[in-house]
Amino acid sequence: MKKQILERILIKILYFFFFLFVIFPFLWGFRTSLAERFETALIPTRFTLMHYKILFARPEFLIYLKNSAVISLLTIFATLIIALLSGYALARLKFSGQKLSGLLLILPLLPPVAILVPLVSYFQKLGLYNSIGAIVVANVVFNLPLSVWMMRNFIRGCPVALEEAALIDGCSRISALFRIIVPAVGPGIVAVAVFVFINTWNNFLYAFALTSSQSLRVLPQGILSFLGNWGTYWGGLTAAGILVMIPPVIFFLIFQKWFIAGIFGQQLK
Amino acid sequence: MIKNKHQEQAQAYAMLSPMLLLLAIFLISPMVTGLIMSLYKTSLSGITTFVGLRNFKLLLTEERFLTNLRLTIIYVIGNISISLPLAYVLAMLITKKLRGATLLRGIFLLPWVVAPIVSTVLFRSLVDPAFGPLSLLLEKISGKQIVMLADPFWAMGTIIFHSVWRSLPFMALFLASGMTMIPRETYEAARVDGAGRWKQFTSITFPLTRIHLIIILLTISLWTMQDAETIYAMTEGGPGYSTEVIAVRMFKESFINFNLNNGAAMGILLLLLGATFMFIYTRISEKD
Repeated sequence: MKKQILERILIKILYFFFFLFVIFPFLWGFRTSLAERFETALIPTRFTLMHYKILFARPEFLIYLKNSAVISLLTIFATLIIALLSGYALARLKFSGQKLSGLLLILPLLPPVAILVPLVSYFQKLGLYNSIGAIVVANVVFNLPLSVWMMRNFIRGCPVALEEAALIDGCSRISALFRIIVPAVGPGIVAVAVFVFINTWNNFLYAFALTSSQSLRVLPQGILSFLGNWGTYWGGLTAAGILVMIPPVIFFLIFQKWFIAGIFGQQLK
Repeated sequence: MIKNKHQEQAQAYAMLSPMLLLLAIFLISPMVTGLIMSLYKTSLSGITTFVGLRNFKLLLTEERFLTNLRLTIIYVIGNISISLPLAYVLAMLITKKLRGATLLRGIFLLPWVVAPIVSTVLFRSLVDPAFGPLSLLLEKISGKQIVMLADPFWAMGTIIFHSVWRSLPFMALFLASGMTMIPRETYEAARVDGAGRWKQFTSITFPLTRIHLIIILLTISLWTMQDAETIYAMTEGGPGYSTEVIAVRMFKESFINFNLNNGAAMGILLLLLGATFMFIYTRISEKD
């Protein structure tokens, strides 16, 4: 009995250490974004919103914000439509070459930094270099394999009976997909959307490689340029960091149950 | 019936076509183009000439590139050898039924949800020589002031530490998802046979999650190997070339100096390195 209590305490202590390890950089960033500029105390006595105000007073920050939002929304929309179509075909239809679908899990392992080099010259030839469209296409392409895979698994987990009734009634595959499957796999669609959003919103590399004008920069690029200009003005830098992390963190925390089930399997839900 | 089969097949291809087209044009064919580009050289005046394997030969005999390669391996192995044992411990904690565990699990995944550039900024402020808590801690322990990102050893240390912080939660959750598939009875039977905690781990948990181990090792190794942005934002590969891994060198060469042919050659070498990791891990998983 005593041994069990001891073990319980040990588990709690370990848990706490992991928790601290994970959370400390966030707490530090939050603290720094609210502390005065040359404050050195771990917990400051006075707080200020100055750094956030400075950030919002910069017109380029709002442009980066708008670019990131537009690119993320377009990418989510395009990826969801394509992933629904492909996921449905993989889950429900029989065709030769079906066994190759496992390749979808290999493709995301290819290094984007290597594929972007030829992509730069592709987009230059297509006249898409230095455009929002180029960034969206790159994001869609790199998100597609895992999104399709997740969608396939969600659609597979949904009962066939309803759809069969509709098909017998003369409903086409496409309308069965959008009228019956889509409502039934709602949580799956949300999980994929959150996954794509996090990847796109956070992505730095595609925008950096595929554009050159300052007016097309996305938020992570903006932070890197602030880092170059501001050096060690940590108040402003952490404030920018906190603002950029808010949307993905909020979406993730709201939908984490579905999201974790989608990526790591149902048991951990 | 036969007609139906053909119809179904045609329908499947039609529905798959947007994905297949996009992947073929923007993912598969760039790899072929990359291979071709790596065999050419572009002069300053913009004339391209075929040079065969010259780009590769120059890279593989260049001291700087060999350092890039060595640092890439140090980065990957450094990250994994710290995060993997910790991930097993965390995974076992996560699979224990505790109050509030669901909320905590979400919080544990946050490092993975945050943009790499943002977490790099957080870590850079943590090691700021004037007031960063980590560098103050190091100063207390070592008794001397160390500017962490200006010192080759500590710069690499900071980069590996940051990447452990980012990889650990994902690894732990993935291993945990494997552990939840092991039936409770297996452990109960082992306990009846008198197996202790360590014995249960080595004879049940570890072997039964081996496939999860291989998948997560491969994924994290390749992610770490490809990571250019966090190192670029942390140190730009410096001081000197002391943190310049292949991905960073390639990033600088291609998108800052616009030496695309050389960048393409490095991309091919990076792919080969990834394939080597894959080969080693699948060999390990086939063994015994």
